[in-house]
Amino acid sequence: MVEKGHSKTFVRKFVPRIIKAALLVVITYLPLYFLSAFVEPFQSFFPWYEPLTNIFAAVFIIFLVVGVFTSGTVYQYVFGVARTLVVMIFFIYALNGGIVTLAVPNEGASVNIMVDLRVILAMLVLVCLLGIGKNVVQAIDFVSAKVETKEI
Amino acid sequence: MRYAVRALSWATKIIWIFIVLFSATAVYSAMNVRIGFGQPQAYLSSGFVVLSIPLFVNNYGLYDLSELNMTVDVMDSNGSLLSESSTLVALIPKNSSIETTHNVSINIDGATSQVQIYLFNDAVFNLDMSLKVKFAHAVPLQASMNTTIPWGAPLYNFSIGQISYNYVDLTHQEAIIPISFDNHSPHFGVDGFMRVEIYNDNDELLGFSVSDLNVPSHSSYDSQVGMVVDDSKITGSGEVHFYFETSAFSISPVVMPYG
Repeated sequence: MVEKGHSKTFVRKFVPRIIKAALLVVITYLPLYFLSAFVEPFQSFFPWYEPLTNIFAAVFIIFLVVGVFTSGTVYQYVFGVARTLVVMIFFIYALNGGIVTLAVPNEGASVNIMVDLRVILAMLVLVCLLGIGKNVVQAIDFVSAKVETKEI
Repeated sequence: MRYAVRALSWATKIIWIFIVLFSATAVYSAMNVRIGFGQPQAYLSSGFVVLSIPLFVNNYGLYDLSELNMTVDVMDSNGSLLSESSTLVALIPKNSSIETTHNVSINIDGATSQVQIYLFNDAVFNLDMSLKVKFAHAVPLQASMNTTIPWGAPLYNFSIGQISYNYVDLTHQEAIIPISFDNHSPHFGVDGFMRVEIYNDNDELLGFSVSDLNVPSHSSYDSQVGMVVDDSKITGSGEVHFYFETSAFSISPVVMPYG
């Protein structure tokens, strides 16, 4: 009877999380998939893009899944911070610190193109920092709420 | 705390929406911008070879283009700078197009520059071209390329042959100097005058002559110049000085020994 109750609790607790995690994984992976399809014609100019994106996607999804499974604990915010950090590092690395260069062959000569995306990168980093800040504030709120509950 | 979290969430969402919208519209706009070059034209202007490159920009995107700056540096094979030029267009508003011309000037006037050598020798010039433009007043973009252009010397293989003398009278002779060169320049002919002075071993002027020149592009000049000289001053060797005054350049003097 006790075992049955335990397994029921387990199903009630984890099945929705598994479904939520699976949904989030699909939702997260879709934009990456479309981005990869969009970048594919230019693959020769960015040979590093695909392996980098795959690694990034894998790490991001791991943190996402772990975050979902640890929801209701302070660790979900820890993994939230880690996930946002991964995103921030990815943007900084993928945009080469804001200066993107590529060489396009043109009638025997090579045209070097340099795009300064530092403004966009600054905005992306700002968003990530806000995300980290939000997770930290939520973590503090969560811990203080728990302490208050214990005291009462 | 909740208000702070809510405020951070909204701020994050607003910035994300802004980034996505800006990125999408920027990509769309960039695909509707055309930058191109027309057929370059070369002409001569008071001692300069001017290479005129038509430049057009069609901006049918959603954002302005600003601070368009095209620069071209011309260098010789040793890396010495021969010419530096830039063209600046302050603003190309959205849904507009501009046409301008970028001029590259190379000084070939022998009296004022060190490039006399290029009047007599073919060469290959290195071109460093760069085009900078600011997209949406926020994203600077730069395209640059290196290329080479061949240079054809207008007085290639300039040389004099054996000087011969014919008696004019008892005290004077006519010195005949064979002169030849090839005009390798694809851009201009050698049209004007050539003054030839002949000196003996003691740097005494024996005589001079002025000849017309009319040598079109990719053609050769092979002719003789005659001048009456004092028989008593002839030493059998010395120098011939050439002065050129053409529509493209003027140089003086080009010294060649004889004898």
